[in-house]
Amino acid sequence: MDYKSGVCNFCGTGCGNFLNIKDGKVSGIYSSRNHPVSKGRLCVRGWHFHELLMSDQRISSPMIKVDGSFKKAGYEEAINFMMEKMAKYSDKAAEETAFLASPRSSNENNYLFAKLARSVFKTNNITLDSESGHRSSMNVLGDGAGFPGMTGSLEDISKTGFILVVGSDITKMNPIIGSEIHKAQMAGTKVVTISSRVTQIARLSNTHLQIKPGSKKTLLAALAKAAIAEGKADADFITGSTEGYDGFATSVNNLDLKDIFSLTGIDSDTIAKIAGELCSAKSAMAFWSTGISGLDRDTVSYIYNLLLIAGKIGRENCGANPITGICNLQGGYDMGTAPDLLTGFQKLNDPEASAKFEKSWGVKLNKDSGKDLYKMLADKNSKLKCLVVADHDEGIVRYAKEIEALEFVAYFGTFDNPFVQYADVVFPIAGIIEDEGTYTNTERRVQLSRKRVEPFENVMPGWKLFPMIAAKASLSWKYNSSEDVFREITSLTPSYSGMTYDKIEKSFGIQWPCNDKYPDGCKRLDGAAEGKKFRFAPVTGRFAVPEANADYPILLITSQGQHFWHQNNIMKKTYIPRREYNATLLVYPKGYIEICKEDAGLLQVREHWNVKIVSSHGSMIVAVKISEDVKTGTAYVPYFIREMISSFLLEHNREFDKGEDTIIPIRIERI
Amino acid sequence: MYLIEKNNVMKLAEELAKSYSLYGPVVDKDTKQVFFNKVDSASEISLTAEIPAIPPKNVVFPQIERILKYKYDKDAKKVEMAPDFDSSSKALFGIRPCDLTGIVVLDRFFMGLEFVDEVYLEHRKRMFIVSNTCTVPFKQCFCVCTDSGPSADEGYDLNLTDLGDVYLVEAGSDKGREFAEKMGLKAAGAEHTLEKKNAVDKSISLFEKIATDNKAWISRVMNRVTTGFIKEEVWEHIGKQCFECGACTFVCPTCSCFNIEDHNNFNGSTDRLRTWDSCSYEGYTKMAGDHNPRHPVEDRRNKRFFCKLSYSQSKKYLRPGCVGCGRCQWVCPGDIGLPNVVTYIRREITE
Repeated sequence: MDYKSGVCNFCGTGCGNFLNIKDGKVSGIYSSRNHPVSKGRLCVRGWHFHELLMSDQRISSPMIKVDGSFKKAGYEEAINFMMEKMAKYSDKAAEETAFLASPRSSNENNYLFAKLARSVFKTNNITLDSESGHRSSMNVLGDGAGFPGMTGSLEDISKTGFILVVGSDITKMNPIIGSEIHKAQMAGTKVVTISSRVTQIARLSNTHLQIKPGSKKTLLAALAKAAIAEGKADADFITGSTEGYDGFATSVNNLDLKDIFSLTGIDSDTIAKIAGELCSAKSAMAFWSTGISGLDRDTVSYIYNLLLIAGKIGRENCGANPITGICNLQGGYDMGTAPDLLTGFQKLNDPEASAKFEKSWGVKLNKDSGKDLYKMLADKNSKLKCLVVADHDEGIVRYAKEIEALEFVAYFGTFDNPFVQYADVVFPIAGIIEDEGTYTNTERRVQLSRKRVEPFENVMPGWKLFPMIAAKASLSWKYNSSEDVFREITSLTPSYSGMTYDKIEKSFGIQWPCNDKYPDGCKRLDGAAEGKKFRFAPVTGRFAVPEANADYPILLITSQGQHFWHQNNIMKKTYIPRREYNATLLVYPKGYIEICKEDAGLLQVREHWNVKIVSSHGSMIVAVKISEDVKTGTAYVPYFIREMISSFLLEHNREFDKGEDTIIPIRIERI
Repeated sequence: MYLIEKNNVMKLAEELAKSYSLYGPVVDKDTKQVFFNKVDSASEISLTAEIPAIPPKNVVFPQIERILKYKYDKDAKKVEMAPDFDSSSKALFGIRPCDLTGIVVLDRFFMGLEFVDEVYLEHRKRMFIVSNTCTVPFKQCFCVCTDSGPSADEGYDLNLTDLGDVYLVEAGSDKGREFAEKMGLKAAGAEHTLEKKNAVDKSISLFEKIATDNKAWISRVMNRVTTGFIKEEVWEHIGKQCFECGACTFVCPTCSCFNIEDHNNFNGSTDRLRTWDSCSYEGYTKMAGDHNPRHPVEDRRNKRFFCKLSYSQSKKYLRPGCVGCGRCQWVCPGDIGLPNVVTYIRREITE
């Protein structure tokens, strides 16, 4: 039979699929009917995954940059070149060398990449790309509930009584999760969406709270306060199963509900009603997007605390559910691609954990946490000189100038893409389905993707390539397959210790923790079984909402659309999604700004007219798109145009670091 | 009409495999999902498997297929070009009546109009089709509403009906009859015709109990769809549930829209590919200068149902565009598979 089961490699949902493999080549895809997550569905991206896998826009051989242009090289030659160049930074590696890992790499490759950084190149400056929002979610859930991952399960969406979607354009970002929520709603689950723009999930919800831009946190705090004030909070749960309630209650009490309408645009009666529905529902889940457009730590803390007040953490069909936008974002953290983490969220500075790794890896580890790459690049006094990057698939390179100015950049990747140009040495790596590998989806489900075709132009898989590099540092890494790497991972990672390739494959993946306590994995965080108290997350208690002013009267919100996923570098290698992207690009070559009819009238502009958007940091010219999805005083820009991001949005680095809550006050000028 | 003992029925497939590439329903061992796929041996085929997840349309109209190959020599400024597509002879063994109806509809689209599609014709012209009567319906089926089952009445070379110990083998073409004679099949009598009728009647009677997922009394809504009297709000209710994934069109046995793309190979040659396309995509109907006759998603959705359920379109296919297989319902991330849309429209009519 030509159809071989597999896992979709785009977003973090982790849908099952079947690839049609004919004569050793991919020639089609089909959905997997019995897969527990996707149940026969795929989104527009998933239905065209085979087109990406067919792409010949690949890195076909190691390359070395000589006088500004690449020449092909053998593996030995390229590795020697890299070792020679990087030797310079070995004494001060903690200052001068950094690694950028990819949320699209398999667990095995990410593990080896981190192992390479720590044991061969002696640096803990390891950053997982597109990571900001997910790490904040992991920190909140890890510190509060001792569970750094989605506490619920996607399979339980259909059984939960109440769903809160915070901000996420989920039917576009993770469509199959959006579909589950929609189907639950049709079957009677109450769905409430909080967002400033009318998204598809907002239309499909029972209630859409169309808040003023930047007021999510304030609204969440108001919901918590209302739940307490109305006596709807789950007092038994709070006393019996949590700690730190008083501090949080005092902090939300500072919020004056009289001001709430002017701050958020939502009246206090509605807030009281929704808070009541959340608390009285038998079970509830909250969803929010993480990754590059994720929420900041404070907002995530309010979501988590609100669920605690409602008694909806660690119980059946409940969940605090951060949604990863990229296939292995969760797995990247699980593999310890972070400055301060080892695998499975073990802390680098935990002597017991690091001793275990030192023994297994046969090296001494530096236990001081490394630095975040993006902070190093932003810091003008940083001594960073050397960067090693894996699969940086973003079309738009953040800190391009700073990266260009580095002395040495090495790149490991599957597809040819804009980042390659910044590198001094480039290594191809066998892609998904050219090598075995596991990927951990947003609900902690570790899934196996089998090898189905031979690697493109015989490029090497990670488990072969990385040990060749380690060998130059006289380290002997002995693997005969990705499965060998996975065995090493499970031996060092308590939350993965019960997993094997066979076991994972037989059950469409296993959700961690999978160990002696949970031999078949763990569907959801079970408070009763854990017997621990959940801690309320510390919050700032600051509720500043961005305000428009006379100079900049409109608040701009940004996001990415369905076909404009992952900054398009990946989508551009397909046919149909690329056509969809191009169709938009043809009409809006400079991108567009959505404003409502009333604002367009005031500004005296029409559909398609070019306008100048001015903020305190800069300006750009885009076309007008008149839309019913935004209210007066709000504008929306989907970021899918290179110039738009590199020359305007990224100038607002401080705002951008807030992730999904990027709000930029602007004015729109006719030109 | 002929008879063949049940334990000999796969001999037909084995014989066909000698002169044709053999295709049939295959159950994936690990996931239990059924595919209609090429097999290496007749033994892989299951005649009792449920309706395949992927429609056999994939054989005559693959998801991606090369229709032309060319190579451009930059220095000589010459291009070498040759039509290059699959021209193997194929036998479909055990195709279900709904899916066979789908192929009949595709025939009318690809070969029944002024322009005859050469690539499609190549798949079809030497094809041998053995259909398989559904003596028991599956959960998702509603072919009784769309006149496309549970037994096939056209388009096959041989049609099999399970009569207990034996299969009734009906020949639908000279090619089928010759094959049956060559295989030395026993002749069937009038009593077997009656037995088949009873088997089909029984199957129909089982729909109420077994085929509970979908109902779609499409005859009731065709008039509405054709005359355009359906309220905007109904289309909006449908449109807002559309996730624009394209799945309904990919799994539909009668959807025939395609896109043409050039794939540049690493070795410098180029494959011209035909790929499945979908009316649910915005780029599908986009024209120069940002004109899009079907811009809002609900317009794109109602186009699909217009295509499946209007008289004008049905005149081209000589039947409705829906064959009652129920696949669009289970792949839809919204809740707007065709049977549900029919329900929404009927609800409006009754209101």
